[in-house]
Amino acid sequence: MITLIAETMTGVFSPPFRRKEFFQQLYFVANKSLIIILFCVSFAAIVTILESSFHMKLVIQNDSMVPGFAALLILRELGAILTALLLTSRVGAGYASEVGSMQITEQVDAFKMLGIDPVNYLVVPRFLACVLGCMMLTIIANMTCIFSAIIVSQQYLGYTPSMFLASMDRFVQFQDLVFAAIKGACFGGVIPIVACYFGFRCQQGAEGVGRATTNTVVVASIAIIVIDFILSYTFSYLY
Amino acid sequence: MTVFISILDEVGGALLFLQKILRSLFYKKIKTHEVFEQIWKVTAESFFTTAMAGFFVGAIMTVQFALQMKEFGALGYLGGLATSGTFREVGPLLIAFMLSGKVGAFTSAELGTMRVTEQIDAVRCLGADPMQEIIAPRFLGIIISSFFLLGGGLIMSVFGGMLMGYAFAGVNFEEYLRHVPMIVSPVSILSGVIKCGAFALVLATICTFKGFTTAGGAKGVGRAVVATSVSTMICIVVVDWMTSFLGEVILQMVRGYRS
Repeated sequence: MITLIAETMTGVFSPPFRRKEFFQQLYFVANKSLIIILFCVSFAAIVTILESSFHMKLVIQNDSMVPGFAALLILRELGAILTALLLTSRVGAGYASEVGSMQITEQVDAFKMLGIDPVNYLVVPRFLACVLGCMMLTIIANMTCIFSAIIVSQQYLGYTPSMFLASMDRFVQFQDLVFAAIKGACFGGVIPIVACYFGFRCQQGAEGVGRATTNTVVVASIAIIVIDFILSYTFSYLY
Repeated sequence: MTVFISILDEVGGALLFLQKILRSLFYKKIKTHEVFEQIWKVTAESFFTTAMAGFFVGAIMTVQFALQMKEFGALGYLGGLATSGTFREVGPLLIAFMLSGKVGAFTSAELGTMRVTEQIDAVRCLGADPMQEIIAPRFLGIIISSFFLLGGGLIMSVFGGMLMGYAFAGVNFEEYLRHVPMIVSPVSILSGVIKCGAFALVLATICTFKGFTTAGGAKGVGRAVVATSVSTMICIVVVDWMTSFLGEVILQMVRGYRS
């Protein structure tokens, strides 16, 4: 897998740039997943705000800090990780089965015969598209999250939007959004690399494709959680 | 418009399928041996994954809560809050996500392959009921083993939180655990378990349904797997919202009744 990462990284900077492929993949990653992700993430934001109000009432008897905390939690953790996990199951599984089918029908070997580097042709555009797409999706998801949190806190906890924003202003800084975008980019990079790795190693037969897909989802999800932990820990020294 | 109709079609199909499964569970003899085999398979296969996810989730929650609690100087509450947050909300949700990636995808791929290679029809030809022989054991197996996996994941998350609280915030183990019994009430644990059960029910229904209704050869199996993981994720998030919301409403009703 390290070889694949190294080859992808060199492929990003080496000449045959496949611009058309890149835009196609970006459309697939970002645009086609947008509605599902926004839908899920806004439900998750509603749950977060209800839960954190419950906890605050339990510990310090009032929930005046809830908007700020919820916004902080959404921006720092929830938006990025939920977006990435959803993308894994959608985009990652798609890539793994696509590349896996190419492998078992010997299309990858055909590329090699034609003198086209399969990493450059298959992995690099997907990698770039996922990094960019996941970054944008993370930012949009965070915005949607906060928007739905504002609506819910107005409906059920009785905070007006201006109170919410004022409380948010106390806790959240602009760098939180930047860190969320960095997280999104890192998670986005993990997905196609894991998917293509398992796709290239796909065994013969339909069963092999299924196994490659399952492995991709599991390994990418765990990798995302571990990377999230490492990044949270690193960023916690920068606040 | 056609999108809505096709979504309604899918939901209705899944509900009818669930009804069939339940009927075969209650009116026919359950294959105990098969159920135990499924429980063992699912638990053994996913235990490491969920335990590892739980460990890191506990650690992440602790780091985040520590950052917030530091501002108030209330680090003593750290352990209780992080544990409670994990037990009630994040733990069941993440374990359900992991399960849907691993068990859900695997089950629908397995059933889909059985369907396209006509093994399910073969079972029917031999005079056995495929619902009773194939679907019901898997359904029960996923639901029962999800509770084991939840337990393992939550215990690991407490460990992760303890280690991280010590390494990051300087809260030693005793101090971390002291507020846990105070904040984590039986209701919290119960709500986590109920949530996990609801997620497992949804997951088991969707993956058996998608696998059972696969059509169109090897490509169809791939499509069924992807459709399973996407639709389980959406349904899990929606169910999560519904259980949280209903729980809140019920709690308020109980409180109003008491006072």
